[in-house]
Amino acid sequence: MPRITIDGREVEVDAGATILDAARKLDIEIPTMCYLRSHEATTSCMVCVVKVAGGNGLVPACGTPVRDGMQVENASEEVLDARRSALELLLSDHVGDCVGPCVMGCPAHMDIPQMIRQIAAGRLSDAIATVKQDIALPAVLGRICPAPCENVCRRAQHDQAVSICLLKRHVADVDLSSDGPYTPKCATPKGKRVAIIGAGPAGLAAAYYLQQEGFECVVVDEHDEPGGMLRYGVSESELPHDILKAEIAQIEKLGVRFRLGIRVGKAISMEEVRKQFDAVFVAVGELKEGDAETLQFAAADKIRVDGATYATDLPGVFAGGDVVRRRRMTVRAVADGKEAARSIAQYLTGQEVVGPEKRFNSRMGKLAESEMPVFLQSASLEPRTKPFGIASTFSMDEARAESLRCLRCDCRKPDACLLRQYAQAYGARQNRYKADRRFFVQRTQHPDVIYEPGKCIDCGICIQIASEAGEALGLTFVGRGFDVRVAVPFDGTLADGLRVAAERCVAACPTGALAFKDGREPSSP
Amino acid sequence: MEELDLKFVDQTVDRVGTGAEKVLEILQALQTHYGYLPTEALQRVCELTEIAPATITGVSTFYDQFRHRPAGRHIIHVCVGTACHVKGADQVYDEFLRYLSIPDGEDTDAQKLFTVEKIACLGCCTLAPAVQIDDVTYGHLTRETVPKVLNDFLKHADARAAHHRKRRRRWKAGAVGELRVGLGSCCVARGSGRLNEALDKALAETGVKVPVKRVGCVGMCHQTPLLEVVLPNGESSLYARVQPEDAKAIVLRHFGARGPVRKVRTKVSGVLDRLLTDENSEPVTRYSIHVRDRAVSDFLGHQIHIATEHCGHIDPTDLDEYLAHGGFQALQKSLREFGPEDVIAQIERSGLRGRGGAGFPTHLKWSAVRAQEAEVKYVVCNGDEGDPGAFMDRMLMESYPYRILEGMVIAARCVGAKEGYLYIRAEYPLAISRVNEAIEKCAERGFLGDNIMGSDFSLRLKIVAGAGAFVCGEETALMASIEGRRGMPKLRPPYPAVKGLWSRPTLINNVETYAAVSWILRNGADAYAAIGTDKSKGTKVFALAGKVARGGLIEVPMGTSIRQIVDEIGGGVAGGLRFKAVQVGGPSGGCIPVGSDNLSVDYESLTAAGAMMGSGGLVVLDETDCMVDIARYFLQFTQNQSCGKCTFCRIGTRRMLDILDRLCAGQGKADDLDELQHLAEMIKKGSLCGLGKTAPNPVLSTLRYFREEYEAHIQKRCPAGKCKALITYSITDDCIGCTICAQHCPTGAIEMKPYEKHEIDPNKCVRCGTCKSVCPADAVRVE
Repeated sequence: MPRITIDGREVEVDAGATILDAARKLDIEIPTMCYLRSHEATTSCMVCVVKVAGGNGLVPACGTPVRDGMQVENASEEVLDARRSALELLLSDHVGDCVGPCVMGCPAHMDIPQMIRQIAAGRLSDAIATVKQDIALPAVLGRICPAPCENVCRRAQHDQAVSICLLKRHVADVDLSSDGPYTPKCATPKGKRVAIIGAGPAGLAAAYYLQQEGFECVVVDEHDEPGGMLRYGVSESELPHDILKAEIAQIEKLGVRFRLGIRVGKAISMEEVRKQFDAVFVAVGELKEGDAETLQFAAADKIRVDGATYATDLPGVFAGGDVVRRRRMTVRAVADGKEAARSIAQYLTGQEVVGPEKRFNSRMGKLAESEMPVFLQSASLEPRTKPFGIASTFSMDEARAESLRCLRCDCRKPDACLLRQYAQAYGARQNRYKADRRFFVQRTQHPDVIYEPGKCIDCGICIQIASEAGEALGLTFVGRGFDVRVAVPFDGTLADGLRVAAERCVAACPTGALAFKDGREPSSP
Repeated sequence: MEELDLKFVDQTVDRVGTGAEKVLEILQALQTHYGYLPTEALQRVCELTEIAPATITGVSTFYDQFRHRPAGRHIIHVCVGTACHVKGADQVYDEFLRYLSIPDGEDTDAQKLFTVEKIACLGCCTLAPAVQIDDVTYGHLTRETVPKVLNDFLKHADARAAHHRKRRRRWKAGAVGELRVGLGSCCVARGSGRLNEALDKALAETGVKVPVKRVGCVGMCHQTPLLEVVLPNGESSLYARVQPEDAKAIVLRHFGARGPVRKVRTKVSGVLDRLLTDENSEPVTRYSIHVRDRAVSDFLGHQIHIATEHCGHIDPTDLDEYLAHGGFQALQKSLREFGPEDVIAQIERSGLRGRGGAGFPTHLKWSAVRAQEAEVKYVVCNGDEGDPGAFMDRMLMESYPYRILEGMVIAARCVGAKEGYLYIRAEYPLAISRVNEAIEKCAERGFLGDNIMGSDFSLRLKIVAGAGAFVCGEETALMASIEGRRGMPKLRPPYPAVKGLWSRPTLINNVETYAAVSWILRNGADAYAAIGTDKSKGTKVFALAGKVARGGLIEVPMGTSIRQIVDEIGGGVAGGLRFKAVQVGGPSGGCIPVGSDNLSVDYESLTAAGAMMGSGGLVVLDETDCMVDIARYFLQFTQNQSCGKCTFCRIGTRRMLDILDRLCAGQGKADDLDELQHLAEMIKKGSLCGLGKTAPNPVLSTLRYFREEYEAHIQKRCPAGKCKALITYSITDDCIGCTICAQHCPTGAIEMKPYEKHEIDPNKCVRCGTCKSVCPADAVRVE
């Protein structure tokens, strides 16, 4: 039985095993995309390359048989550079967005397309859960947000943007007026306490998320009512107080405690607050003269924080919202609160404080004229719905009709896609190799499956699976070289080609090229 | 749409067979019959055979030869090989499209008479720019001669058909002398075919009974049509660039007319000719060249003929002649005197290394296959010479097919193979037909088939024609192609010696490698090893083309210097321009600049210099060639020919090409060169096969020796005056107002103004260079 070393660690494997097999035995992870278990290696993607001492160049681990005494390098700079290059090359030819532009346009990165799909499916209870994952005050924002998401909505290139803000409002309103409004589960208490100074949108959001993580939150505010600018700055006609109250009540329901009418720096010193609590989040809004010092900061008109973590110079003290940057945009403040909560949670559990994970995002950019019709294939062609009935609120039918206008221009497999995962892990840049991208194409004729050739990495796994499943037509490579694409023989439709093997292909496809139309995850093969 | 007649499909399948490996042969037959591959025909094939729809779609879209849209009645293939490229193939291609009024994005004219396509390399590099219309090759095309070529083709189409049907008369060689005409593909393209016909006619008219013998390639391609007159006493006279009309005079010069009537007739017609023609008919001696002439002796003198033994003497498919010149003696020896181990030992002692490009020691391959314990083994000849600028293997297959077969039989016996294939690329129809003929004759006479030469060894050989894919020159891709699949390489190990064709042990060697075996066994391994250098023994056939005065095929000892080849043998750069560099090794190779040209031609030296022996293509470049453009040309080729399997080659070479395109268009950026270098290194390291691994070589090599040219391009200058986007054509004050430029300008960018200085409209100018080449006053400036 041959013995080899990988990064200095020795392992014995069966004769005929590959370097990948050996790595798996050592629990060493080597990224693979085109490799299908129990099948002969295709050696196409080259993301699994390793260096073998004494060899020329790099070899794919998935297909290289081991030889006794082989010394494999898996973590050297050379190997990492090569893998990153392979990913960057694949990304340079990747047409599609991981997340919709609306998600990137929203300061809180709310999963807007998911919410819209859930509305379309009539699953409003799922929709509110999606919304509240990133937005703590959706009913409020549904009334006062300037909707930067709609400014970047691709649908506007055709007629008008999808009415995202009103859709979110609809979901929030329906939830608030229901018998059992959405209440997320809270983790078991961790025995740490967080003081949140300021009951405005930033502070409320931070409290909402920190409490869910199991930290005891106390929101301190000098006013008699919570809400900050929402209560005292926005007019009641724009934002009725009962809506604000109802939304705040949902936060309180989680166990957040409010200490109102208390000004830190007067009724209680900052020093005292820092003693009594394990972490502090300062969200007092715009500073007036002298405010900074009462909070133990140098005199200034705003508090300086680290851009990623919201940490201030004072240990254990974080800040967010307008106190950090004057934007007067509620959704930005709410986003700050959510993101700061991540950092505070890391701080309180002894992890490295780095803030929320920044996920890799592939961007397709502006659509060419010929591409809009491709997206319109799966969308309603109606113009933007104007709410009839009660001013500015969608009815169930109107919401549903509007949700069907969404172009669904995000990827249907943003979490299962290996290209995204590895791009993130290796720090790959999509635009390293600038080039004119291909046109976006969709094959939609299968009842369940959608195929987007622009995301295909030509690994050939689907072709193998279709062939093994005995498909009469199946799939095949068409062409040669850079323009190779996967297609059904004789210009058949996807439905003709994949009569029995569709689900297996979707499950095995390493990117979002083959996915279920409704975005559901395939059952594992 | 009319119903497609599918009877032919059924007939083809009946004839060829239903096995999966028959797909290429079936597709080629369908393409020839229908002119393209109709979907219904493909579907019918799937119904009748084991070939799956996925396979037939995948295979028919992989190879360049196959079309899925109807074509015109005749197909014009414009060669864009290296030599043709540097001599202006792009201009010729554009002119065909323009002259036939073919709209943008299409390839066929409105009358559906001609379809124009680019083709990778026809292997007629000394005729550059070359074009093949159906199966007729034309050389030395220019924008001007495009209409002439088309008319000539149409005029002679019927005559050609008739001539092919006539059987060649056979004469006994010997005491009466011989008239030898070289009839390789490019000889024919330069008119040897018509010379041949003219000689037949002249002999009939004069009654001279001297045989006209077809011989293989002499290699002096720049002198064709070549005619060698051998007198009964053995003396020979060589005539170069002979025109058909001079055939009779040459015959008469050496052999008088026979019979009184003929003598008189000949004399009279000669007098009349002189009276009635305007020109002074100069004596034909102007064509005669002597082997002692500098030009000839320099070209021929440095050569040693091993693979090209008996160069210019023997008829390619005459088996008796081959036998009379030592043919199959080596096979005889290996069957009766030496055992397989002994033969391999001799190959080892000779130092023979694979001539396909990689230079792997041949004996190691043979030993490896021999060592496998298996019932079924295969022997394969790689005749997929795809390097643009290389035509050695074509010449060897057309001129010495028996020698190659002999080498294969010897090898097959050594390794224990009883079946074999010769994979010959589609663009070499003459090679395919000659090798086929040779195989048939060998089988008839017991040199192939059962009990070869009375021994207990049997071997069957078949030809598989390629279908247009450079990557199929790679061993594993070639085998995939034979098996009836897309020609996509596989990771090695396992090597073909262990797991090759249909997973059996397979020996696969290049044409030239097999061609050397016979000489080695007849003359001894030591004799072979005495030629060449320490590590690179024997000789190598090179194809010398490009801007050189005397282009052609040469076989020289390893270790000859580049300078010797280019200057002494090739006569230096043509047209009084300065020698700049030599591209060695085609798209996998690199360039050797003028300063390094006393570099020895052997495997190690070339690799150390950043080039590669490759298959032997040597393209000479002069000062008007832009090295960035050359690098881009090669990368375009490899990018186009990439199979598409692995990320680094499929996408990496494209990204490199993007950078080069931008550089040549004047849109280069400061960090482009570093990015190019990084990409090149990644692709070299991470590609799956030799195509990808060597694709960056031309770029790396030109970056190494000509970096200043790249930097000039970043500053939007092309020092060689080649890259269209970076140069402007203008007319100087030397203009004499003759209007010739305006008459020739294909885009009407010059207004005709008699007696006035002409001007070029930069918006219409396409930088074709025609005005510069026709201007009598040298008044066109390029900067």
